[in-house]
Amino acid sequence: MRVVMALLIGAVVGVQPAALNLRAEDTNTVELIKQLQRRIEELEQKVQVLEHGKGPGEGATDAKAKEHLEALDQKVKVLEREKELEQEASEAKAKEAPKVSIGADGFNLSSAKGDFALQLKGVLQVDSRTYFDNPATAGNDGLLLRRARPILQGTVFRDFDFMFVPDFAPTAGPTIFDAYANYRYSPELQFLAGKSKVPFGLEQLMADRDILFNERALATALVPNRDVGFELHGDLLDGRVSYAGGVFNGTSDGANSSNVDFSNDRAFAGRLFFQPFNHTSAAALQGIGFGVAGTYETMSTTNTAGLPSTTGGTLPGYFTDGQQQFFAYNPADKAVVVAAQNHWRLSPQAYYFYGPFGLLGEYAISDQTVRRTVVAPFSSAHLDNTAWEVTASWVLTGEDAAYAGGVIPRRPFNPAEGGWGALQLVGRYAELDIDPAAFPSFADPKTSAHSAAAWSIGLNWYLNRNVEVKTSFSYTTFSGGGGAGTSAPATVTQKPEEVLFTRIQLAF
Amino acid sequence: MKTLLRGLAVLAVAMGWAAGKDITMLNASYDPTRELYQDYNTVFARHWQEKTGDKVTIKQSHAGSGKQARAVIDGLDADVVTLALAYDVDALWERGKLIPQDWQKRLPNNSAPYTSTIVLVVRRGNPKQIKDWDDLVKPGVSVITPNPKTSGGARWNYLAVWGYALKRFGGDEARTRDFVARVFKNVPVLDTGARGATTTFVQRGIGDVLIAWESEALLTIKESSQSEFELVAPSLSILAEPLVTWVDKVVNRRGTQAIAKAYLEYLYSPEGQEIAARHYYRPRLDSVAKKYAATFPKVNLFTIDEVFGGWQKAQKTHFNDGGLFDQIQSANR
Repeated sequence: MRVVMALLIGAVVGVQPAALNLRAEDTNTVELIKQLQRRIEELEQKVQVLEHGKGPGEGATDAKAKEHLEALDQKVKVLEREKELEQEASEAKAKEAPKVSIGADGFNLSSAKGDFALQLKGVLQVDSRTYFDNPATAGNDGLLLRRARPILQGTVFRDFDFMFVPDFAPTAGPTIFDAYANYRYSPELQFLAGKSKVPFGLEQLMADRDILFNERALATALVPNRDVGFELHGDLLDGRVSYAGGVFNGTSDGANSSNVDFSNDRAFAGRLFFQPFNHTSAAALQGIGFGVAGTYETMSTTNTAGLPSTTGGTLPGYFTDGQQQFFAYNPADKAVVVAAQNHWRLSPQAYYFYGPFGLLGEYAISDQTVRRTVVAPFSSAHLDNTAWEVTASWVLTGEDAAYAGGVIPRRPFNPAEGGWGALQLVGRYAELDIDPAAFPSFADPKTSAHSAAAWSIGLNWYLNRNVEVKTSFSYTTFSGGGGAGTSAPATVTQKPEEVLFTRIQLAF
Repeated sequence: MKTLLRGLAVLAVAMGWAAGKDITMLNASYDPTRELYQDYNTVFARHWQEKTGDKVTIKQSHAGSGKQARAVIDGLDADVVTLALAYDVDALWERGKLIPQDWQKRLPNNSAPYTSTIVLVVRRGNPKQIKDWDDLVKPGVSVITPNPKTSGGARWNYLAVWGYALKRFGGDEARTRDFVARVFKNVPVLDTGARGATTTFVQRGIGDVLIAWESEALLTIKESSQSEFELVAPSLSILAEPLVTWVDKVVNRRGTQAIAKAYLEYLYSPEGQEIAARHYYRPRLDSVAKKYAATFPKVNLFTIDEVFGGWQKAQKTHFNDGGLFDQIQSANR
């Protein structure tokens, strides 16, 4: 029996150097350790059995065998411990390894602790516009690339965020829409520098991928878009109160600023928004938000750039849902109208979202001092142009609606498995009224409308979180204008605007 | 009316003052000090509240000493650091400019409120008859010590062995190096930290002898239920001086300068020294040292300055990439 045991020990000891030569990262190491443990246990049992019947002189041999066993036991334990340490090391390494994720939120890279991060996102919108019953604008029908924006955003050194968004869709060529750095001292106190959306309009501040119609409402025509400046902002009381205030170059209604402005004039903008019930248990109250925003600018010089941007026509003015100019600062006597002195805006605003239902409304007043030049009299006036809108939405398939983040389909589009995405019905009414004092000294009442009123209805189909198809119909009526003429705004205001939009959007 | 309003205002301010503030603080420390600072934090919080009325919550973070220093440099908001060796604290100045260069002069005893040394732990009955460092080079003796490249405690271990050998061989560096190489040839597994090495020896049952902080060794023996381990005091060892300092950049930003300083100064008080001694760190205060004299074995000690010319030099010569430790390990493979 002792001979058998010695042979077994010899066999185990004989195989173990080869086993020990294997690196612990070898996938067979664990199995090998188990095998060795089993053999040790078997041998220990045999040693115990033999110890009962050993003869004289056999003690030394047994002691040697026991010594071998102990050595073997140590080596197995070392192997096990090395395996543990390797696992610990690989876990520690994994914790320190950069993280890469690709999903519906875009392509994300970040350092292990998240102190450094880079996200690649994008928005592509392919639209069609079809105008009905308006021969004068028949030539506006068409397909267009509305937005083609790669979005590069990220974080450096934990507290410094950045965003860079160019748009390749404009016919004038690539344009920088957002380019800013943001320092997060805390959620309550952040400082932003660069080009970004001015904290003012409720609908304007919605992400472009989340807006409910192809084009924003008439009220947004009085709202500044993006501007270069410095802004302090933050969320107080766990987001119940949000504030933003800053100094900017100043931009006209509905317009983006250029990237440079060497005038001495600066505009101030601020916004206070409340979501007092966003942490209450009453779900019906959580989606209430309301606030007020304002801007103020004093211009020391006069310029046409201070007036609403030009779209469709050749002079500064306002435009419809169909992006046609219905008002222009073009008095009949050919005087040139410029912005001068003070410009202020005010906008009370609110929204309510509860389950699939959403309601959003805002009012905006833009008070602009204008002056006639070139042709006498060189008079001036304060013009109070006002606008408002109400937008309602209902997700027919039951998903939640939200101000930010859009609708996330419960069952993404996959016909083979019965997934058809989410459907949302949207409706909107909006008006824009030009100050009557604008006519006739600053605008031609025969061509420009005094006001525009638009109602719109649409259906949005969210195939998944990234792909959306939307279609809507917009009907805009005008009061005033409608006189003879072969260009906007006369051609636009002669009949109501009826336009059918479609959009295919890819956003990630 | 004005007087009434003024009185109310003063009362309101006084009440606010009396109510005290809630302060949080982070102590980034090394592996084996968990138990020490758990106790100390409780006592200090009570002391501070009695003194100022402010309620302080001290959070602890523990990892390898070098790793903790790197974390603080990389942005860990530690108000104070209590690390294993001066080299790691120096890095806060050299690489992060988070503390002044002369940080060590800001507190007594070169900012080392307690000391320790390096000793040996063996299994019950000392089956391999290990009495001193010489026994660690014998064939068949399995030695457990962590990796000096990753562990502050391991560097103390290594330097203790080196210092002993240097004296034994009369300053002969070649023989010293050979001695240290033979010790590390007997190390079957290199843990990344001191606590991990203790786990290897105590819980995994690997090795015949553990080279350890004295505090760790005494704690291990105390916690072993059936006297499974014995402490062996070598004839000569190194005076290990864990260092403490407040991190200026952090405390200035967080407004915790006063409390961070007080937190570390309190380590030198009789209460602080008692806690250190109870956790087997050698106290600086004579009265406490006398009281706990029986706790600590008598060991002849040398300092790192005496034998190695300070931490910077020791680090460069022995532990930097390509240094003596790397050379020894390469030769042992």
